[in-house]
Amino acid sequence: MSVLLEARRLEKQYRLGGGRVLHAVSDVSLQVHRGEALALVGESGCGKSSLGRTLIGLTHPTSGEVLFDGQRISGLSDRALRPWRARMQMVFQDSSAAFNPRRTVGESLAEPLRIHGRKNIRARVDDLLDQVGLARSVADRYPHEFSGGQRQRLNIARALVLGPDLLVADEPVSALDVSVQAQIVNLFRDLRASLGVACVFISHDLSVVRQMADRIAVMYLGSIVEEGDGLEVLDRPAHPYTKALLDAVPRPDRPLPPPLKGDVPSPVNPPSGCRFHTRCPIAQPKCATDRPSLQPCGTGRRVACHYPLVA
Amino acid sequence: MGADSLLDIQNLKLDLPDGRRLLEGVSFQVQAGEALGVVGESGSGKSLTAMSVMGLLPGLRASGQIVFAGQDLVGLPDKSMRKLRGAGIAMIFQDPMTAFLPVRSIGAQIDEQIRLHQPLSRREARARTVQLLGRMGVPDPVMAAKRYPHQLSGGLRQRAMIAMALSCSPDLLIADEPTTALDVTVQAQILTLLREIRDEGAGVMLITHDMGVVAQACTHVAVMYSGLVVERGPVRDVLDRPLHPYTQALLAAIPPLEGPRPERLPTIPGQPPTPENRPSGCVFAPRCSFVRPDCAVRPALIETEEGRRVACVLYAA
Ligand SMILES: Nc1ncnc2c1ncn2[C@@H]1O[C@H](COP(=O)(O)OP(=O)(O)OP(=O)(O)O)[C@@H](O)[C@H]1O
Ligand SMILES: Nc1ncnc2c1ncn2[C@@H]1O[C@H](COP(=O)(O)OP(=O)(O)O)[C@@H](O)[C@H]1O
Ligand code: SF4
Ligand code: SF4
Ligand SMILES: [Mg+2]
Ligand SMILES: [Mg+2]
Repeated sequence: MSVLLEARRLEKQYRLGGGRVLHAVSDVSLQVHRGEALALVGESGCGKSSLGRTLIGLTHPTSGEVLFDGQRISGLSDRALRPWRARMQMVFQDSSAAFNPRRTVGESLAEPLRIHGRKNIRARVDDLLDQVGLARSVADRYPHEFSGGQRQRLNIARALVLGPDLLVADEPVSALDVSVQAQIVNLFRDLRASLGVACVFISHDLSVVRQMADRIAVMYLGSIVEEGDGLEVLDRPAHPYTKALLDAVPRPDRPLPPPLKGDVPSPVNPPSGCRFHTRCPIAQPKCATDRPSLQPCGTGRRVACHYPLVA
Repeated sequence: MGADSLLDIQNLKLDLPDGRRLLEGVSFQVQAGEALGVVGESGSGKSLTAMSVMGLLPGLRASGQIVFAGQDLVGLPDKSMRKLRGAGIAMIFQDPMTAFLPVRSIGAQIDEQIRLHQPLSRREARARTVQLLGRMGVPDPVMAAKRYPHQLSGGLRQRAMIAMALSCSPDLLIADEPTTALDVTVQAQILTLLREIRDEGAGVMLITHDMGVVAQACTHVAVMYSGLVVERGPVRDVLDRPLHPYTQALLAAIPPLEGPRPERLPTIPGQPPTPENRPSGCVFAPRCSFVRPDCAVRPALIETEEGRRVACVLYAA
């Protein structure tokens, strides 16, 4: 599979005033292949959304670069980015914000097509509604008339309007009920199969991620600590943090193991050495001083740990 | 069950002034030392049931019975209800910011709550606050008590709210989606806490949409759909062997965290009915794959075996 999107040594810092700097994304390198689904997981504040937004040029990286289809898109002006925008779209969690409440959803879906000078607009809108599993007649209705699940379908339709190669979906199902969530999870799978669109899913729900993604990147305090085939990473985690996340998921068949100690440290003053060492159950003295880099581990997997759980 | 339950809700109905019926007859019990999980999709009436127990629904008409420690709360005067809240029954919410005022330290707010129900000096109340925060696993509780709500992380804020809810040792703790906004790591800490509270003898009513949370933190479960309880029983029984077609479909829709990955997840066609077009027969009938003619009459929640009940014609005697 060929590489669609590549991030090289991305850094995203936010200046907080008083000279303080928050390291939201630090030294992230990754690739997304054509048609592939990559999931970003990790605790709140670990930089998933910041990374997702930087990948598709919604924010500028502090340093590092992003290549789309082999061409550098980071650092481009908004104007220069415009032709690329059609090829990368974002799907947000809050599905009500994306549509103008005073317009029919058909009008909202047609607008980007008109701006980009596309033809056969009505037919394209019909196609889109078919693709996301809504009746064509809904084009004449207003956003407030839809349920949460239908709004998320519309939201996905909006992201697909211009025929993107890549979707970045930030918590696309976390606000939905389990039964509706299952429908949207299936929809993403159908769309990937029929349109070949690549997806970066951001989610904190590991069972959803396991269902949706080919590959998983686990983030902690702005960095990827483990990355690899989805089933492999979740079935046999190599990084102690991945294992801790999995252990914390409540399941019917076993009592909860002792929770991970402490809170996530501040991304303004991240710990020295391995950033996970303040909470890691198997930390050694070396972990407090030497920062482990992301190294190959087994087939197609990368892990940043001095003492990985699988070889 | 019944007479000696800590909380016994029988056929609770809730109506809007315009006549729309939001709860159609909710029945379940919570025993001391047990935790009842209340599950169901959004809009099924979970929060309304909780708020009814708290007596926090002005403007809605309740009928049926909510018996708490031998006293029927339906129609209880505000003053008596206020006494019960905090002392007998306490509630925690998904968003701890709703429980705290933003402009005062969390310690001051917990102190005040304690002194409302117990004749303690400021200093004594603070000592108890600090002790409670410590028990909730809040690091450096003396300092934490001095902080304002926005200065604490989500997990710490949630623990501070639980500390406040427990400050008067309530017999019943109602928790409405207490971990929905939290990371799994923090959620695990809160669930462990809830378990301790239960082990100490309090009853817990835990509203959630996460079956894993139910499995982990509850002894019993009630499944709600469209303003009704459609199934209830001991957690293991219901999760291992769900009887109601809705419970079965709900469990099937959860993607597995281990084992083979299904090509597609089973889904439930359609949507739940709104209160105004709730079917007169079985409320799940329009989406049920087992529907048959006798489903046109609303099935009662009948006992199928010791401690288990289901409202579905498939299990009628
Ligand atoms: N515009 C901003 N200015 C300053 N700090 C920010 C900004 N956006 C995000 N941050 C901080 O950067 C870090 C990473 O944030 P980000 O939103 O990427 O996390 P996330 O992994 O998406 O979290 P969540 O799961 O809660 O959505 C956090 O500490 C956050 O508070
Ligand atoms: N104060 C209210 N006035 C009118 N309708 C309400 C009110 N509160 C809730 N509802 C409606 O009652 C139903 C059940 O709501 P709720 O108990 O909040 O559901 P849940 O907690 O299960 O998601 C929903 O249809 C909701 O829109
Ligand atoms: S490097 Fe050390 S502290 Fe970091 S995850 Fe590995 S064992 Fe734990
Ligand atoms: S009563 Fe009928 S419609 Fe309702 S759940 Fe049972 S079989 Fe399905
Ligand atoms: Mg985010
Ligand atoms: Mg609710």
